[in-house]
Amino acid sequence: MITVPGDVDGHRVRVGCDVADIDDVENSLAAFGDRYLRKVFTASEISDCRGRNRVSRLAARFAAKEAVIKAFAEPDTAFPWREIEVTRDGPLPVLRLNGTLAERAQRQGWLSSSLSLSHADCHAMAVVVVVCRPDESEVAAGTAN
Amino acid sequence: MMQDQIRDVLATHGRMAVDPREVDEQADLYDLGMTSHASVDVMLALEDAFDIEFPDEVLKKSTFASVHNIAQVVESLVKMPV
Repeated sequence: MITVPGDVDGHRVRVGCDVADIDDVENSLAAFGDRYLRKVFTASEISDCRGRNRVSRLAARFAAKEAVIKAFAEPDTAFPWREIEVTRDGPLPVLRLNGTLAERAQRQGWLSSSLSLSHADCHAMAVVVVVCRPDESEVAAGTAN
Repeated sequence: MMQDQIRDVLATHGRMAVDPREVDEQADLYDLGMTSHASVDVMLALEDAFDIEFPDEVLKKSTFASVHNIAQVVESLVKMPV
């Protein structure tokens, strides 16, 4: 039996995933309207989700935010949803962090991330992979793989 | 009773598999079927019910994990000076 390491060449890798029910987002929009949008999404995200497939896109972004929260692996700390933003680089979704979460990512040594979104008729999903810098104490001790 | 109002909000917006009016105040609401997205609706409905606003620092999973935890946070927000 082996314990599979959670790092590559000393760089720790974190993964988060989540799935969101598109009807749930539709229901929240119907019940709370702009308050729901402004509490969860940034102005840029709201703008990006205009038009066709609006609700599916919002659901995918909500899933992305929850996926990022899981990648932080600190369940009992505050995660303001608007500090996690999905932007675009051409066709590719890109993760942007703001405020306290940007600071926390720096403390955890986040170096780069890759984000993938998808949706079907009923659900949207997101996966985020984060590569972190090697733990400095492990590097000093020569224990990083 | 604050807890009764909270349980009513959970019954309307928590999308749980059981009636939240009948669960123990310490029961884990996520274990009972509440999703992270449903907790957003619960938060917005609590803001309406108690005329409060949840600040960023309480937007954590544990805040919505039980009727007891929700009541503690709502009570602190209700008491905050405007």
